Amino acid sequence: MATNRLVQQGVKQVKPLLSVDRTEARRRVLNLYKAWYRQIPYALKAFNIPVSVKRAQDKLRELFLKNKHVTDIRAIDMLVIKGQMDLVETANIWKQRTHIMMFFKDTVNPKPTDFLSKFYEGQD
Amino acid sequence: MATALTTKLLGQIRISSRFIRSRAKSSVTVATGSSESELEKRDAERKDITITVNEKIDISAISGVPDEHIKTRTVRIFVPARNAMQSGTYNTRRWRMEFDERERWENPLMGWVSTGDPLSNTEVNFQSKEDAIAFCEKNGWNWFVEDEKKPKMLRKSYGANFSWNKRTRVSTK
Repeated sequence: MATNRLVQQGVKQVKPLLSVDRTEARRRVLNLYKAWYRQIPYALKAFNIPVSVKRAQDKLRELFLKNKHVTDIRAIDMLVIKGQMDLVETANIWKQRTHIMMFFKDTVNPKPTDFLSKFYEGQD
Repeated sequence: MATALTTKLLGQIRISSRFIRSRAKSSVTVATGSSESELEKRDAERKDITITVNEKIDISAISGVPDEHIKTRTVRIFVPARNAMQSGTYNTRRWRMEFDERERWENPLMGWVSTGDPLSNTEVNFQSKEDAIAFCEKNGWNWFVEDEKKPKMLRKSYGANFSWNKRTRVSTK
């Protein structure tokens, strides 16, 4: 069983997706964040979501910070594109209520972590 | 006087039309860019621009695979066994990746086997070990390689049984 890690440390030249440098990528992320932030009250009202604006804003922040480890400019751009698609779908009400509620995951039971609760759940 | 008024008016109209145009570009599309014609123009300008990125690509943030199936999974990279019922060796000419096994359970009535694991029956074949490793690295999965087991081909010949120096003539010497 050979486990020799692959070490790739070089850099290479690639075509950009949208942004050509980190500043531009950062600007796009902030723009998207602001657009979402402004859209939140309207979305909550339009979809009649039982969530306070504050909680939605916290969730927005959490979802953005989840990807803060991403350093590849192309990956950042891709995330921005996906986030914007989500935003457009929300703003145009192409999404439905459940799709918005899926961000909050309030029907997902947390996985058991300690030994006894795993045993009760029947998981190993 | 009249000209001054018209220029002033025109200026205002121009300003307001710009304002309208900038407003019409909905605020939700402001993040990634602008109208399509502007994008095309910019693309033409940027045709030859390249950026420098790390050689190590990590698509785990954008691949859509849930976190728990990236951080908690281990991939086994191996050469599949030859089909024992046939003499062909085609199975052994590829590398395959497989995820670690998760819980399976059996239907008590019919004996159907179920699993809650979305990656359970994934079977991806590669030309080489390096390809498989690169794929796992790219997706952020933990991996290990099982060494390839090459069959040892023994040279067999009838004449070797009577060799004068191999000590194979056990019956007469």
